[in-house]
Amino acid sequence: MFCYNCGCHLSEHDFCTACGVDVSLYKKIMHISNMFYNEGLEKAGVRDLTGAINSLRQSLKFNKNNIEARNLLGLVYFEMGEVVAALSEWVISKNLRAEKNIADDYINMIQSNASRLDSINQTIKKYNQALLYCNQDSRDLAVIQLKKVLSLNPKFVRAHQLLALLYMDSEQWEKAERELTKCKNIDCNNTQTLRYLQEVEQMLAPEEAVRQPGKRKKEDTVRYQSDNEVIIQPLSVRENKNSAVSTLLNIGLGLIIGLVAMYFLAVPAAEDAAANEAKKPLIELGNQLDVKTANIKELETQIAKLQTQNENLNSELQGYVGTDGTLSTIDTLLVVAADYIESGDIYKAAEKLEVIAQNINIDATSEAFQKLYNTLLGSIGPELSQTYFRTGAEAFRTEDYATAIENYLKAVYYDAANADALYELGNTYRRSEDSANAIITYDKVIELFPDTDWARKSKRYRDDLAGGSN
Amino acid sequence: MINFEEELKKFHPSLEVEDAEEAIYNQDLTDMADLLVKTIKESEEKSEQ
Repeated sequence: MFCYNCGCHLSEHDFCTACGVDVSLYKKIMHISNMFYNEGLEKAGVRDLTGAINSLRQSLKFNKNNIEARNLLGLVYFEMGEVVAALSEWVISKNLRAEKNIADDYINMIQSNASRLDSINQTIKKYNQALLYCNQDSRDLAVIQLKKVLSLNPKFVRAHQLLALLYMDSEQWEKAERELTKCKNIDCNNTQTLRYLQEVEQMLAPEEAVRQPGKRKKEDTVRYQSDNEVIIQPLSVRENKNSAVSTLLNIGLGLIIGLVAMYFLAVPAAEDAAANEAKKPLIELGNQLDVKTANIKELETQIAKLQTQNENLNSELQGYVGTDGTLSTIDTLLVVAADYIESGDIYKAAEKLEVIAQNINIDATSEAFQKLYNTLLGSIGPELSQTYFRTGAEAFRTEDYATAIENYLKAVYYDAANADALYELGNTYRRSEDSANAIITYDKVIELFPDTDWARKSKRYRDDLAGGSN
Repeated sequence: MINFEEELKKFHPSLEVEDAEEAIYNQDLTDMADLLVKTIKESEEKSEQ
């Protein structure tokens, strides 16, 4: 205990040994607070939670700093399902003493489990909703809601009491008694619970009183409880003694009913079984037929595919084969070669070679064909390339870049070693502001003719263009 | 005999978790020790005057 004036530890004297202030009354107040705390602790120990709450509140009225009393009050609230009240007490307690306080553990226990906190909140909301239903006279809904509340928080005393009150209102005394018993198990000395229980017992007692008096009339029912249901079993119902005739009559009647049932149930079943047996070979044949039909369909599809393939190949072959049966392309190439040897006209030969290259894929032709084609191209190529180069240069001078590009492309096509043509092609692209193609062309010059003047110039232009495009 | 309507009035909505903060702030924490200290100080001030 500390002095309220200077905060020093108090001795057994009625004054503070540090500041000299009179602390006799202050000490008495602290003692009363402790006395109420002890009382509250005792009551909580025997589950008199209402009594414990009263005592602990008294204790805190005398000394708000009685941390033990406040923590215990929170615990008692929590036990009664009043979680928010419990949390409030623990939070205040933690604020009054931040260190070495068990309230901290209690708060963490609730806050660390988000689903539990959410469940608590749901319980409270449902309880409030049930109360609202009660006030709106929707008592059935209130009962349903309260049952949900109690399934989530079975120790919520107020919810048990409200549910009991609703049962009492609808004269379901046994159910009300059950709820109140649960209340009593949680909080044994709750005045409201005891009052309701008294009422319920009064309502149930007259029935007991009638059954138990001296007359001792034999009970005609036996009551017992199975889970949540009360089972009422009659005792006085007895079977009449049957005569032999009625027994025989009953047996006969049973036999007739049995025969009729057999006629309607067993006979159709036997007929169905026989019919199914007869159908079996037919079903098997049907299955076989299905398999064969599927095979035929598959074969037909294959035939159709092969026919289409055959037609395609024939039409393709027609493109190659001339009227006299020889391959027209080979024929053309041979004619080109013969004409060139005879006349030496490179332009005519080049024109025909271009037609051949447009019509077929040279790489897909035979080795001999490719050899002849390339020999011809190699013979006429350099000269032709120079011709196209000159035409391109002329067009470049007149700033007709489209024509220049066309001719330079042909010059490069006919002679891949024509570095001048390739370099000028790059320049023409650059002048016609086609930077992408210019860069590609310059790259080719650098790659194909390294360490040459063309390569150095190409690199400079290429870098300029690349820098400009970035 | 218990009157349902009268008994129902004794039940009040429970505080929700969101309202806990407000409930804590609104709680009157004055205790007997505070009152005693206040009374002693007042009487001391009067005697000084």
